[in-house]
Amino acid sequence: MSETTALVPRTSTPGTLFSRVSIPLAIVALVAIGAFISPSFLTAPNLVNVLNANAAVGLVALGMTFVAVCGGLADLSVPANVAMGALVTLGAQHAVGPFGAALLGLLVATAGGVINGLLIGYLRINPIIATLGTGSVLLGVSQQLIGGGIVYGEPSALADFVKSSILSIPIFVWIFVIVAAIFTPLLSRTAFGRWQLAVGGNYQAAEASAVPVRFTKASAFVLTGLLAGLCGVLLGLSNGQARPIVGTGYEFVAITAVVIGGTSLFGGSGSVLRTVGGVVITALIGNLIILSGLPTQSTGLVTGAIVLVAVGVDVYFRRKAGRE
Amino acid sequence: MKRLDGRRVARTAVQYRLLVLLVAVAIVGSVTIDDFLTFDTFQSILNRATVVGFLALGLTPVLIAGQIDLSIGSILSMAGITTIGLQPLIGNVPAALAGVVVGVLIGSINAVIVVAFKISSLVATLATLLIFASLSLLLTNSQPVSSPDAVFGIPLTGDLLGIFTPRSAMFVVAAVLLFVWLRFTPSGRNLYAVGSNAPAATSAGIRSNGYIATTFLISGFSGGAAGVLQSLSTATGSPVAGAVLLIPAITAVVIGGTRLEGGRGSSLATLGGVLALGGLTTMLEFNGVPSYTQAIYTGVLLIILITLDRLVSNDSRPASRTLRRERVEPTTPRETRRNA
Repeated sequence: MSETTALVPRTSTPGTLFSRVSIPLAIVALVAIGAFISPSFLTAPNLVNVLNANAAVGLVALGMTFVAVCGGLADLSVPANVAMGALVTLGAQHAVGPFGAALLGLLVATAGGVINGLLIGYLRINPIIATLGTGSVLLGVSQQLIGGGIVYGEPSALADFVKSSILSIPIFVWIFVIVAAIFTPLLSRTAFGRWQLAVGGNYQAAEASAVPVRFTKASAFVLTGLLAGLCGVLLGLSNGQARPIVGTGYEFVAITAVVIGGTSLFGGSGSVLRTVGGVVITALIGNLIILSGLPTQSTGLVTGAIVLVAVGVDVYFRRKAGRE
Repeated sequence: MKRLDGRRVARTAVQYRLLVLLVAVAIVGSVTIDDFLTFDTFQSILNRATVVGFLALGLTPVLIAGQIDLSIGSILSMAGITTIGLQPLIGNVPAALAGVVVGVLIGSINAVIVVAFKISSLVATLATLLIFASLSLLLTNSQPVSSPDAVFGIPLTGDLLGIFTPRSAMFVVAAVLLFVWLRFTPSGRNLYAVGSNAPAATSAGIRSNGYIATTFLISGFSGGAAGVLQSLSTATGSPVAGAVLLIPAITAVVIGGTRLEGGRGSSLATLGGVLALGGLTTMLEFNGVPSYTQAIYTGVLLIILITLDRLVSNDSRPASRTLRRERVEPTTPRETRRNA
């Protein structure tokens, strides 16, 4: 379990040093580059904007961290759950009011997560295939609900609240920070979190140690469903409209943030705080690309290259440490 | 043994699921649609399934080797825009070849990242998916490219022997060739050993790394071929053409019975999976079911098949052990897991 608290390394090899300082270093470097490239980068409005624009997908990445840590590879049904959350939140407003509709949206997306959890945790279906299937079904259902069109919301106190700011920091960012503040100790300090790490580290050993392996794995997908739903609810309320494509690509952005943060997709190690770092890094990269005048299409190019370099260097150091 | 009969029936049904599925599509189709069971319908199903089919074929050896290639959609887009973009510069046929070459090049990049840099294929091809999707948008400025010679690709979808079109014939031939390699040659059979247990295969003298690299070259080639065929038939190179095709391709492979865990699968089964999926889609379309509803049927089908497969098999290994055995030298289990 020594790997579980990767932020507090027991030994000081180049690998552990790299894994400890790489995220803060990358953020500092990106901020420095940004300040150099554009005078408007290091201003409060820009930085707030960057965080605001990435808080929604950041929520998904927080959930995806649990999926990765418990050895669940990845949840590819995220776009469907985001869409469900957004569409139900706006579509059900007439019937049950804005608060009820938002709750319903959360509930529906969580139900999607429960289905994933049952298939993957209890039936032990490969997570990639299972979430491909459920994602395809749920996205189809969400499109059928609205006939393939677009749903508009009504102005409401809840929507105004979601779009407002407290202490000049947007509600989106507050929610992201609060969820991250709850989930970080949930993974690193509680028995539930230890189960996640144990199941991802060695499934058989965890099972033999009376860890409820099936429940643990299923719950990671339920959490991701819930957070994808929250992401959808917030997007729906703040945009005032929603289409089934609202969450397209979010699964890959979230996985990228998790990987850049240094959590292994194959389970057993990782932390929510690292994913927060990963979200900030991806957010800054996107912002820098826009500010430096590069075409926005190059975001994927830069992100992909950074994933390869980050994981490649990590693998290199671990192999080296393993040999010594 | 009598108590096990229900289980045995279920197992048989799962074993012959492609047949069950194809017969079901044929029966429902012929009841609900006039003239469904004709050579014309078959020709059209096979022709339309060609592009997804090539992607699925390319994925098959990758999955047998216990790896995954998420970048095939991006490979398809890159090959498509290369072909159409180069047509006015170097002529039609060289441009088509260049498209395939681009596919193989991207496949070789995947191979190097996975085999030389030891990055797991899930992460590696996720990165190349992002990189080449982004690059194809950059190269085309997010606009589809139109071919200057729109009639060149038309014969690809023309009639051939009543049930084929030239491009669907290429697909079937490719599936058969792949089948012969996997089934009847020693190197093909070695691939299954690599997929079942790469360290053990290496210990037995099989060059696992070489086999894994080869499968990425094959998926690059197939993705390239799919991109060339699609762009030529539609006379357009779209930078986003491949983005939506990854999921149907994986679905087709899985319906065919190839496992993500590695060590099992067949290209003819993939051909069957592609046909079953294509038949189902066409039948639903003829019945006026909107395309987004088809996604529901496809997804439900995928979940049912994979659940049945899991329920009737005695394999009690945790599913996500797959893809974790990416390290091919003999190592301790603890080291293997760190290698993500």
